[in-house]
Amino acid sequence: MKDLINYLAQPVISFTIMIVLFFIGMRYIEVVAKKIVGWILMVGTVVITALLFTDKYFRANFNLTTDNVPIIFLILLVVWTSWYSVHKGIENDKRIENGLGPIEGTPENREKIWAWPNLVYTELFAIIAATSFLTIWAIFFKAPLEEPANPTWAPNPAKAPWYFLGLQEILVYFDPWIAGVLLPGLVVVGLIAIPFIDINPKGNGYFTFRERKMAITIWLFGWLVLWIFLIVLGTAMRGPNWTFYGPFEEWDLHKVVAEANINLSEIFWIKLFNTSLPSNIFVREVFGIIAVLGYFAGTGFLFNKYMGKKYLPRMGVIRYYIFIFLFQMMATLPLKMYLRWFIDLKYILAMPEFEFNI
Amino acid sequence: MKKEPGMAYNTKTLNRIFAVLSVVFLFVVIWMVMDDYIRPWKKVQLDGLQIKREATLAKLSEVEAQIKPEEVKALEEKIDASKAVVETKKQDIKKLEEKLSDVQKKIYAQNMYVGSVGSNKGAYQFNYEHAVKFNQTSAAIKYKVELDKYKQLETDAKDARKSLEQEERNIKSEIAKFSADVDQTEKDLKSLLGAKNRTLIALKKTDKDPIWLMRNAPFIDYLDPTIKIHQVVIDNALDDRYFQHVPKVDRCTTCHVFADQAGFENQPNPFKTHPNLDTLAVGVSSAHPMKDFGCTSCHSGEGQRVNDFNSPAHIPDSEEKKQAWIKKYNWHEPHKLPSMMLPLKYTEASCVKCHTGVERVPTAAKLNDGRELIEQYGCYGCHKIEGWDHLKKPGPMLTSIKGKVKNVEFLKNWIWSPHSFNPLSKMPAFFNQVNNSKPEFQKLNITEVNAMAEYIWNKSADYKALDKFTGGDSAKGKELIEKIGCVSCHQVEGIDDKYNNQVASRKGPYLTGTGSKVDADWLVTWLKKPNHYSKETIMPSFRLTDKEAGDITAYLMGLKNKVFEEMKFEALDPVLRDQILIDYFSQFSPVADAKKKLAEMTDDQRNHELGYRSISKYGCYSCHTVDGFEPDRAPIGPELTNVGSKPVEQFGFGIQKDVPHTRHNWIAAHLKEPARWDIGIPKEFGDINKMPNFYLSDKEIESITTALLGQVSDKVPMKGRKNLNANEDLAEKGKKITNKYNCEGCHKIDGRGGDLVKALDDPSEGAPYLVKQGHRVQTDWFYNFLKNVHPIRPWVKVRMPSFNFTNDEINTIVTYFQAEAGQVTFEDAHQKITWEPGEKEAAKKLFNELACTSCHTGGFSKEEAQAPNLFYVKKRLRMSWVEKWFENPQAILEYTAMPNFWDGGKASAVPGVLNDDPKKQMKALTKYIFEMGYDRDPEAFRKE
Repeated sequence: MKDLINYLAQPVISFTIMIVLFFIGMRYIEVVAKKIVGWILMVGTVVITALLFTDKYFRANFNLTTDNVPIIFLILLVVWTSWYSVHKGIENDKRIENGLGPIEGTPENREKIWAWPNLVYTELFAIIAATSFLTIWAIFFKAPLEEPANPTWAPNPAKAPWYFLGLQEILVYFDPWIAGVLLPGLVVVGLIAIPFIDINPKGNGYFTFRERKMAITIWLFGWLVLWIFLIVLGTAMRGPNWTFYGPFEEWDLHKVVAEANINLSEIFWIKLFNTSLPSNIFVREVFGIIAVLGYFAGTGFLFNKYMGKKYLPRMGVIRYYIFIFLFQMMATLPLKMYLRWFIDLKYILAMPEFEFNI
Repeated sequence: MKKEPGMAYNTKTLNRIFAVLSVVFLFVVIWMVMDDYIRPWKKVQLDGLQIKREATLAKLSEVEAQIKPEEVKALEEKIDASKAVVETKKQDIKKLEEKLSDVQKKIYAQNMYVGSVGSNKGAYQFNYEHAVKFNQTSAAIKYKVELDKYKQLETDAKDARKSLEQEERNIKSEIAKFSADVDQTEKDLKSLLGAKNRTLIALKKTDKDPIWLMRNAPFIDYLDPTIKIHQVVIDNALDDRYFQHVPKVDRCTTCHVFADQAGFENQPNPFKTHPNLDTLAVGVSSAHPMKDFGCTSCHSGEGQRVNDFNSPAHIPDSEEKKQAWIKKYNWHEPHKLPSMMLPLKYTEASCVKCHTGVERVPTAAKLNDGRELIEQYGCYGCHKIEGWDHLKKPGPMLTSIKGKVKNVEFLKNWIWSPHSFNPLSKMPAFFNQVNNSKPEFQKLNITEVNAMAEYIWNKSADYKALDKFTGGDSAKGKELIEKIGCVSCHQVEGIDDKYNNQVASRKGPYLTGTGSKVDADWLVTWLKKPNHYSKETIMPSFRLTDKEAGDITAYLMGLKNKVFEEMKFEALDPVLRDQILIDYFSQFSPVADAKKKLAEMTDDQRNHELGYRSISKYGCYSCHTVDGFEPDRAPIGPELTNVGSKPVEQFGFGIQKDVPHTRHNWIAAHLKEPARWDIGIPKEFGDINKMPNFYLSDKEIESITTALLGQVSDKVPMKGRKNLNANEDLAEKGKKITNKYNCEGCHKIDGRGGDLVKALDDPSEGAPYLVKQGHRVQTDWFYNFLKNVHPIRPWVKVRMPSFNFTNDEINTIVTYFQAEAGQVTFEDAHQKITWEPGEKEAAKKLFNELACTSCHTGGFSKEEAQAPNLFYVKKRLRMSWVEKWFENPQAILEYTAMPNFWDGGKASAVPGVLNDDPKKQMKALTKYIFEMGYDRDPEAFRKE
């Protein structure tokens, strides 16, 4: 059983499972929104997490004295909030369907109350409670001064703070300037841009799913699959040398993983055409350039064809194309991951001469 | 409850929540402060305080027991009586005291006046100089007048003060006269009770009074706590903090509270006093005081950390201790630390980083043992270790082995398994190890051994022995081996265990089965003239006669190893040979090319090639001189200079589960079974670990591990190191030579070595102890003696051999002994003897009365001598040493039969001579003996 889980946990399999589960959940969203499913999700998460800790290797790898504890809260909170929003949304959807309007719009929910003491007093409670909680937290999970940093003896694995582990996971598949600068930059910029791009007033001030089906799906995919899952993967299943280890596998420093990644240019010139690499880098990388440009042009074209009529007039040209670009960028991540897993692709476009690799 | 308008919550409920939260918050704050306040080391210090209190109380009762109450009472009564006397003079005293106070008042006023005129003088001085500097002549004149005036005033004022002070002293002494008795008695009482009072003060320091409580109370204990972290900052040693080296900060005494205080030897740790407190460490008067060296300079570990038991990286010494610590302190293996504490048994390793450039470190027995073993087994041959580069190759040279060993068959069997021929062999076993004992590997190994032996044999030059063995008396040979000193370097099969086990010298090989190994003619020649066969050998000549050499040869050739002799080594398999060669050739070229290359070679060439390749592979050339391998070829093993600092991650633990992942455990396991790391790992034949097995005992392993752990890369500042002075430096250079030739195997040199004596009933029959030898003998004589050894003590059977020293080596040895004795080269040895009137007659009388010639018969009678020939004294000894010798011979040589005539220079040896002045007598006799001289005819001297 544990061996099976270790096997299934491999990035390629578990990532695929996550995607499949995600879309099944989206397809049967009414079922997911049921209270009983919510209970199953919450209790299941707690039970599974507890079961994981019965394994000695899991305990050793995911040790609770480091900042791994927040991730457990994170998982529970993510499961809860995701389910809750969906649940509320579906509830409202049903009301809207019956012509009742969202529950947040009922007169009793629109009543006005005093800021003091209703808001300020409770905020004070929150401050006191949070301070107490953090103090107790600090007593139990000390942050001691560790041994002096030794530049010649870095910790292995060298892990970022837990909330960055998703980004660190992206580093496996992308050149640092993309994984470390461009993609996170676009995530931030994209999040800031949401209110400016999304001018659809539906869902403002109330939960809904059906009215904002595409927006919620894209958001949840990015959040659950591309962010949370990668954090969990990076925390629990990446060991020394950033090698993959199953949750029940010992972190043996010397684990060797067969890996021989090649560039797209090598696939074309050497494997298919059986010649040496052209010395002119632009000729050499011509397929990569075509692939990259083709990706943006091609998917843009497809978007236009299937969704352009609906969204272009509604959003306006600038918003529309920014949205398309951001979406394309988001989609590069799973695409590149699958390319790596299936055809051992290192870089689509490899120009180490200019430190420009995609 | 109904909600008020505009309210989402009930105010009362909110207030209740607020109350609960406030209480929780208060509780959390208190918890936080206490969590910060309660530290494991505070408990330790409290316990320490209690222990100290008990010890002080014990001392107090001990001190009190020594004070006699009646003495105290008598003194107290005396004080009372004196006080009564003083009482009667009250009026006088009062008058004097009034006078004193008056004078003191005047002195006070005068002081103020002196200050005022003094400062005026200073100001005018400056003004005057300033005016002169800027040529303001008229101002200068004016200031000069004022200056002179104030100068005079000041002189007068000071003078007046002096006379007042004199008056004050007078009055005081007058008052003191009245109370002199009281004062004196009080002083006596104080000194009688001194120890008690001091103990009481010490006891008070252990009181837990309210002030103490306040000083150590939570939150205000930052002001001036008594329970606090103790630390020493040591700039003699540095901590490597990677970006810079910083002075060591040791806080170990925070818990090890009495480490540097005597009197707590029997307490359990951490309250124990450091062993050897006053000699070795950390006592104030020891070689390594706490304030200069701290703790982690030697013990290693993280001295700054006092968080809990684990944080300074305590490392248990044994499995039992480990289990006990786990139970008691929740101990765990420290991680991510480059330097953990050394387990107690390896602490001596730390000596090395400061005591550099010395052969042996005083009192570090295990470390010295380890270093000696490294020399003996020749670890430095394959592994470069800085500071060991001067040593010759540990194994014998093989360039003319053909002349020594009987046949190539022996060589093959020997390489295959040296220990089956000689259980104490220092040649390690390369084959039949856990990683190469698979049948297919063994077959390949056999092929390699064949090729190596053939290579060495064929490359060996012809050697013709000087002498022929013509037979001898084996029993006599055995006796000679025991008597003349062979046993100080060799253990020999069949001789008395007394010689083998007590001397236990393994400088030279254990002599067993010699008859099955070497050629008899070679052996005779070797015994008589070792350097005829090998220029590099340290084996000396014992100046054996032909008969003696024959006898010893007869005995040694009688030592046979029949089993080994009859062993036939499996012949070389050409198929396997070709297979191995192809592997070699195809390392950098394709197999087809390798095969082609092989096909072009003849059979002999192939054997030769495999021999060469195998010798390179196993590194035989690292220890032996082999023809075809240049002498400066890099040794086979990795360098060990800094092995004690090598990160533990860089040690290959293979898949061995039972070896804990620490540096010392790896080294110890490696020495025990070097091939173990390959166990269970499918490796190719060419890739297996080649470190051979020395079959070391656990004790040897511990010693060697200690020595290796000492090889660290720590930076030690100049002042922290043991810096040798000029004499020590010269002595160390010499010790390198004397250790090379094993001088300490026979001689006890200034207290070191001299094992051979253990096998003798009487030390005077062994090699003489060398005590301040540089002072004893003259430089010229010493040099010539080492160049051309001749017997001095005819009764001694052990022979001083003739070593094949170079001139340079002799000079170094002579300098060494002189340096160690603090002796200059030239002393007035050849000065013409000048006699005081009557001195010579006295000397003659002493010489005859003390019957010197009854033992020192040389040149005087035909009787067997029991002491050295006096006619050689002039040439050999230094005058100052002879006088010292006369003063107390046993103080120099504990076993000497020379009588202590002058009883340590305190008594007259012959009554009535030279006014019974021992100094003069000794001087006269010394002069007399030096007048005899080797250059004089004994006959003529006797007549005189």
